[in-house]
Amino acid sequence: MASLVLYPDDERLPRAAGITLNFYLVTALVLFLAMMALGLGMRSSQAGWLGLPPDWFYRFLSLHGAGMVGTASLVTTAIMWFFLRKYVQLHLWAFVANYVLFIIGLWCIVLSVMAGSYAGLWTILYPLPVHSQGMWSREAGAIFMLGYLGIGMGQLLFYLDAAAGIIARYGNFSRALGLQWLFGGEIDQAHPKAVVASTGVLIANTLGLLAGTVALVMSLANAVYPSIELDPLLIKNLIYWFGHMYPNATIYMGCIAVYELLPRYTGKPFVMGRPFLWAWLATVLYVVLVFPHHLLMDFAQPRWLSVMGQLASWVGGFPVFVVTAYGALVNIHRSGIRWNMPARLLVLSMFGWMAGIVPAILDGTIAVNMVMHNTQWVPGHFHFYMLLGVLSMALAFMFHLVGQRHGQVPPDSGGDRGSLPVYLLGGLVFLFGFLGGGRTSVPRRMAQHIDAWTLTDRIGSIGAMLVVLAMLYFVVRLVIGLLRPVAQAAGDGDGLADAAR
Amino acid sequence: MKTLPQDGMWGGLLLWLVLATPAARGFLEASMSLQMLVQMPLLGLAGYLLARHLPERVRRVLASWDRGGVSGLLLAAVVSLPWMLPRLMDAALAAPWVELAKFTSLPLLIGLPLALSWPRAGLVVRGVFLMEMVATAFRVGWLYLVAPQQLCVNYLVDDQQRLGTALLVLGVLATLVLACQLMWGHPRGAALR
Repeated sequence: MASLVLYPDDERLPRAAGITLNFYLVTALVLFLAMMALGLGMRSSQAGWLGLPPDWFYRFLSLHGAGMVGTASLVTTAIMWFFLRKYVQLHLWAFVANYVLFIIGLWCIVLSVMAGSYAGLWTILYPLPVHSQGMWSREAGAIFMLGYLGIGMGQLLFYLDAAAGIIARYGNFSRALGLQWLFGGEIDQAHPKAVVASTGVLIANTLGLLAGTVALVMSLANAVYPSIELDPLLIKNLIYWFGHMYPNATIYMGCIAVYELLPRYTGKPFVMGRPFLWAWLATVLYVVLVFPHHLLMDFAQPRWLSVMGQLASWVGGFPVFVVTAYGALVNIHRSGIRWNMPARLLVLSMFGWMAGIVPAILDGTIAVNMVMHNTQWVPGHFHFYMLLGVLSMALAFMFHLVGQRHGQVPPDSGGDRGSLPVYLLGGLVFLFGFLGGGRTSVPRRMAQHIDAWTLTDRIGSIGAMLVVLAMLYFVVRLVIGLLRPVAQAAGDGDGLADAAR
Repeated sequence: MKTLPQDGMWGGLLLWLVLATPAARGFLEASMSLQMLVQMPLLGLAGYLLARHLPERVRRVLASWDRGGVSGLLLAAVVSLPWMLPRLMDAALAAPWVELAKFTSLPLLIGLPLALSWPRAGLVVRGVFLMEMVATAFRVGWLYLVAPQQLCVNYLVDDQQRLGTALLVLGVLATLVLACQLMWGHPRGAALR
């Protein structure tokens, strides 16, 4: 069971592990800020406040999409590693290898976009990366895809190490997921939720990565030998299989921080019941089957796949976020939680996840999708749970770690208290700029907007400015905080959850 | 280190010799699917069985170059790549030296290293090898299916497309078996890390 001690001894990292974790977190913070700046530039350009040439818009959009999801995965992998290593044996080399391959992949993507002018978006939809009508070279498209391969291979190594650790401890995935308690028996409350979540994530995302490597290598084969023609619909299915699971996995890895940290700030254990286990099982199945809801507008797609996508969206989309959010609310209820930065961000992340998934499930409905899918409704929903959900989870984790370095007291300075409302307000304004744009049928992914569309662009841009401002503060605050040495506890037994409240 | 069982000592050699007979070659090389999916794996199996004959001293020397089974599995993976190319499968029928290369490299550079390295490999190394094997089955199968023209002189288009379909089916089956084993089985190798 997750500890109620705020900073337990088993979370003290050896020097090499601490340095590696800092590399992950500092890199993620800098990348988040850089990608946000690109996003702000694009929204300002759509608003008519910045004259970004269309080719640069699409280059930035490619970099922003790939960079943001990759960075979210990087930081939530760090969360999974940090907590999972307490329960199973993980190897630092796998964690380091993931980071190194991520950086190599990132540089491939940056090189492809900045030097090679690649602007075919993160979706790398065949045959766009190698048929650019002269906008970028075939090599640039190939390097972008090689970057994805590098990042995917790193993630796969990390998952395999995690799988080995989990199997060595629990025997197989079924027992790690707690499936033996689905229909009866007394659930072992000491069975870590971090293990359940990690197992679920690595099953689903490994399948996604497998689909992704097949699609990428086939696309690369086409880049080298253009006479090899691929089925565009099949490769699109594979890309979205991988492309849906990869960002979703960031939520599921990130919510390990909620399971582990929230009880420490409330002083109450996060109870694990049968609904929790059922929900995670449903999520593993859902996340594998749901990808066709990205292809509801593809008329050539077999009908049964579209129906499966919609059913999976409605049946499987809810369970984990319901049990997590409801569990969090029960955990907070009458707990006397003290609202310091990690606690606030954890609760905010629940809101971001819950509120963001509603427009997502709506868009996964065929009748709605036909109207909304090519509008800004879609970036509205995924920015909702990525910005206010996943990023809040990551920030909560990092603020918690900063407290470990500041006398084992969770941070809650005036600057922190002031910046969070700016982040939340800016985030909501930014997000409703997108959702409002969707409501009025403003198309997405367009570099230039007509005057009638610019009202929501301008609202969104103002929100984005506030978010970037708050993020700038977070980055400076967290980088300085994370680079300080870990403080010694005032005495044995200090750091109990009571101390946090 | 787990030692290989010594029973069936001559099985590998016998299998190798049987596969080399004109009758077996004629039958198994009559189609691409049989050559890639039956003859080549059987040649690998012959090497796998032959590993039991290796003297302990040789095994110890090889083991010192094969920490965690990485070198052996890497060798097997690299050597297996060219044998998936239609040009080589075709050439094996026409050029005796290519046939000789096939009959020596598949047992000695794929089957034998697999037999020696697999028990040494932990779940991560095995996982990388198996994932790549499954992904390769999908990729190569797909390539055979979409190849715009007949790739071999000796095999027709329908044969190469049958092989493509068979590889895709094998990829799906291997994924299901691996998933079931990880989910409900007793996967080995987790302790060796």
